[in-house]
Amino acid sequence: MLTGKGFESAFRYIELFWKGTATTVALSALTVFFGFVLALFLSVLRLSKNKPLKWLAIGYVELFRATPMVVQVFFIYYVVFAGVKVLPGFKFLGFIAFDRFFPAVVALALNSAAYLSEIIRSGIQSIDIGQTEAARSMGLSSRQTMQYVVLPQAIKNILPAIGNEFVTIIKESAICYTIGVQDIMSAVNSVKGATFRIGEPLIIATVLYFCLTYPTSKLIAHFERKMSHGDQSK
Amino acid sequence: MATNPNNTLISVRDLEKHFGKGGDIKALNGVSVDIYEGDVTVVIGPSGSGKSTLLRSLNLLEEPTSGSIVFEGVDIAKKKDASGKPLNLDEHRQKMGMVFQHFNLFPHLSVVENMTLAPIKVKKTNKEAAEKMALTLLDRVGLADRGASYPSQLSGGQKQRVAIVRALMMEPDVMLFDEPTSALDPEMVGEVLEVMKELALGGMTMVVVTHEMGFAREVGSRVIFMDEGKIVEDGTPQAIFDNPQHPRLKDFLGKVLI
Repeated sequence: MLTGKGFESAFRYIELFWKGTATTVALSALTVFFGFVLALFLSVLRLSKNKPLKWLAIGYVELFRATPMVVQVFFIYYVVFAGVKVLPGFKFLGFIAFDRFFPAVVALALNSAAYLSEIIRSGIQSIDIGQTEAARSMGLSSRQTMQYVVLPQAIKNILPAIGNEFVTIIKESAICYTIGVQDIMSAVNSVKGATFRIGEPLIIATVLYFCLTYPTSKLIAHFERKMSHGDQSK
Repeated sequence: MATNPNNTLISVRDLEKHFGKGGDIKALNGVSVDIYEGDVTVVIGPSGSGKSTLLRSLNLLEEPTSGSIVFEGVDIAKKKDASGKPLNLDEHRQKMGMVFQHFNLFPHLSVVENMTLAPIKVKKTNKEAAEKMALTLLDRVGLADRGASYPSQLSGGQKQRVAIVRALMMEPDVMLFDEPTSALDPEMVGEVLEVMKELALGGMTMVVVTHEMGFAREVGSRVIFMDEGKIVEDGTPQAIFDNPQHPRLKDFLGKVLI
């Protein structure tokens, strides 16, 4: 049962929710950045003529898409970073514990890179081969052709799918509370422990997540419209 | 515009291109031909005769199965140059402009950006100089006012004229045309052929794969007839059109010239 009193006691911990929101935003933004860079790299490997590199990229993508995210997060935190042991324990922005935050970014970025790279690959493959031929016939190298001709068009085509993936990252980042990252979900857990109420903090978390994801998808849609000039014929 | 064997620009020898499982489809089956400077060499033939494959092999958009293509003294079909270093194909491609059936303009770039991309990125021409050159060329093909347009805002004929001047931006030594008018509405064919004709009159070396027999006869200095991956007949437009020798050429002309 949700009660006014329940909300009242949950709101006494609102500070935790604000910090949690900042953590979730920082976590998602860094994941998007590193995930995207890694995904670009993976998709180029995936399309390369070099067989071992190609199979490496395929293996990576399949592994990360075929295993649960919670397993990946635990594995990165408890196994990979356990070996590092001395991750600096400083607080990032004053309240984000780096030794938990950093493994979370790594795990989420590795995971989303696998999904994003498949989106980028399909985008690259959707560009007519004639575009590449025209660019190469003028003497552009394969790298320049990718950078100036293929990728700008591919990214425009896949912007909706990328936007979806960004929104997904914000939502899935909630899993990181399981390794002690103090994000929005972790605030829910703390409030539950202190007040013995779960419904009210969950409602607050729902509102917060919605306020993050909805504007993000609207923003992407805005860019999509902005970039669609000069392509009315297609 | 007479054929001058002393100025060979491209020398093709024994070119083979095999497709399919075990290479059983021979798109090019032993083609040898010399392309001379200043010539307009027109390649005709039925579809599937290998004429586009030959043209696309000249700048290695198709990688030939075997044979050699010597362009300005370098065998570009080999992956290494004379001194054994890996061949930089991009350097050679810059000197061979190409115009495609489907224009292949870059839809995300304006007309001027389409034209200046390669000069700026490959030749390192400064932006102002490249844009100035682009506007001069656009003026020459009657599109001076379309520099800021995007390809989707142009008609087919306009697109192909832009594609031609885009290739000219690199100041190539030869221009390759792969059925440049085949995708155009009939009323736009003329404007594109007119630009090509002017280019020919200006002395540009051109290799043109086309079905426009009128163009071949009027502008061509030499016509090559291909069938089944081979050059069947090779001669002046007069010889090819007025006095065809090979039965397959006679048959082909009978079908296209009504």
